[in-house]
Amino acid sequence: MQQPSDEVLIAYLDGELGERETAEVMQALVRDERLHAYTQRLNASARLIRAAYDDVLREAVPDRLIAAARGERGLTALRRGLARLARWRAVLGERPWWIGVPVAASLLGLIVGGGVGYFAGTERSASLTAQQDLVTASTSANWLDSVAGYHKLLIKAGSNDRALMDVAADANGGAVPKAGQLPPDLRLPNLKPWSLQFQGARFLVVNGQPATQLFYTTDNKSLGPLTFVEAVSTKPDLAPTFDRRDDLNILYWRHHGHAYALVGTADIGYLWNIYNDIAWQLDAI
Amino acid sequence: MSASFSDQLVAVLPRLRRFARGLTGSAVDADDLVQAACERALARAHQFEAGTRFDSWMFRIVQTVWIDQLRARETRRTESEDEALNAGTDEPVRRVEARLALREVQAAIGALPAEQRLALLLVTVEGLSYKEAAEVAEVPVGTIMSRLARARMALLAKLSGDALRGSTEDATAE
Repeated sequence: MQQPSDEVLIAYLDGELGERETAEVMQALVRDERLHAYTQRLNASARLIRAAYDDVLREAVPDRLIAAARGERGLTALRRGLARLARWRAVLGERPWWIGVPVAASLLGLIVGGGVGYFAGTERSASLTAQQDLVTASTSANWLDSVAGYHKLLIKAGSNDRALMDVAADANGGAVPKAGQLPPDLRLPNLKPWSLQFQGARFLVVNGQPATQLFYTTDNKSLGPLTFVEAVSTKPDLAPTFDRRDDLNILYWRHHGHAYALVGTADIGYLWNIYNDIAWQLDAI
Repeated sequence: MSASFSDQLVAVLPRLRRFARGLTGSAVDADDLVQAACERALARAHQFEAGTRFDSWMFRIVQTVWIDQLRARETRRTESEDEALNAGTDEPVRRVEARLALREVQAAIGALPAEQRLALLLVTVEGLSYKEAAEVAEVPVGTIMSRLARARMALLAKLSGDALRGSTEDATAE
C-alpha cells in the first residue's frame, strides 16, 4: 500500500475506515515510525480540539435558553401576556406619573446605581443592606442582559425572519395577530413622529417573568432599530435609569409591578425623549 | 408541542451551546444563535422524524440559522479579538498555562473557513459520524472528509508548538 493520505489517516483515527483499509493503515504505521509519530500528533491535536470547548458543557445554561426550549415564548407566555395586558390600564393608573420624572430619575439613577438605593433603609444593618444591594444589582444586570439579548436576536434575524413575531404589523403600523386573536388591551405606542415604524411584537419570558417586546425600525440609522420591552416584575419601583450592553443603550424603569426598557443604539437623549412620548401615549390611551 | 420534545431540547442545550460557541467564537453570539435555533425548532417540531437522532436534527437547525445570520450580515471580528488571536500565536510564555493553550486552540479553530469549522465541530467535537455530519451540513460524505482533513492539517500546523507537544507526550505515555 502507498503511504496513506492525510484524509485516510484522519478517517482511520475517527474509526471511519472499513476492515481492509484499517488493516492497511495499521501495517503502514508499523513499518514507518515517522508516520506513526505523525499520527500520534494528529491524535493529540484531536484531544486538544475536544478539550477546547469542554468548559461550555459545565456552564449553567441561561434562563432565556431554557425558556426558549420550553416554548414559553409561545402559548404559555401568550396566556400570561393576555392576563397581564388586561391589567395594563389599571397598573398604569390615571395619573400621568411619568411626566417630569426623567431629570430627577436620572439624578437618582446616578446616585443609587441600578436601584441600590431602595435597600439603603436606615433600619437595616449594613451587612444586610450590602447583601441585598448585591442581589439587586445582580438581578438587574441579568434582566438587562436578557433584554439586550432579545434585542440583538431580532436585529440579527433581520427583516427576513418575521416568524419570530407573535404579533405582526399591518400597513398602517397597527397590530395583526399571527394566530388567534389580538390581546384586547394591547396598546402600541405610535412612534411615527420619530420615523419609527412598528414591525411586530413578541411575547417573551425574561428572568422567568412574561414580557412583551415591541419592535420598531427606521431609515434613520442614528435612531433605530429600537425595541420597547414591558415585563412583569416583583421588584420595587425604580426611576428611569440608563445602562449599556456592548453597543446598546438601555433606558429602563419599574413601576407598580412592571419593568420597562427602551433598547437600541440611539443616543441616550433620543431615548429620554422617546420615553416621554411613550409615557404620554400610554397614559392617554 | 409535546413535553418530551421540549425535554429533549433542554437536555441537548449544553451541547448546542458548545457547538454554537465553536461556530461563532463568542459566548453571547452563541447563546443568541441557540435561542434562535430553539425557536425555529419549536416552530418546525412536526418535521422531526421520530426514531432519528434529535441532536443531529438540532445541529442542522443551528448551522442553518448560523448560515442565515452570516448571509444577513457581514461577520465582524473586533480588533481586540484579532489582537488576542495574534498574541496567542506569538507569545510562548502564554502556552505554559493550559487554559490559555485551549484558548489558542479556540482561536485557531475560529480562524478556519466556516465550512471546515463546521465539519470539525460536528465530527471531532460532537462525535458525529462522517455520514451524520454530511447530513447535517447537507453535503456528500466525501466533502466532509476533505473539509475535515484540511481543517485538521491547518490546526496541526498552527498548534505544532508547546501546547501540542505536551499532548503528544501524554499520548505517547498512554
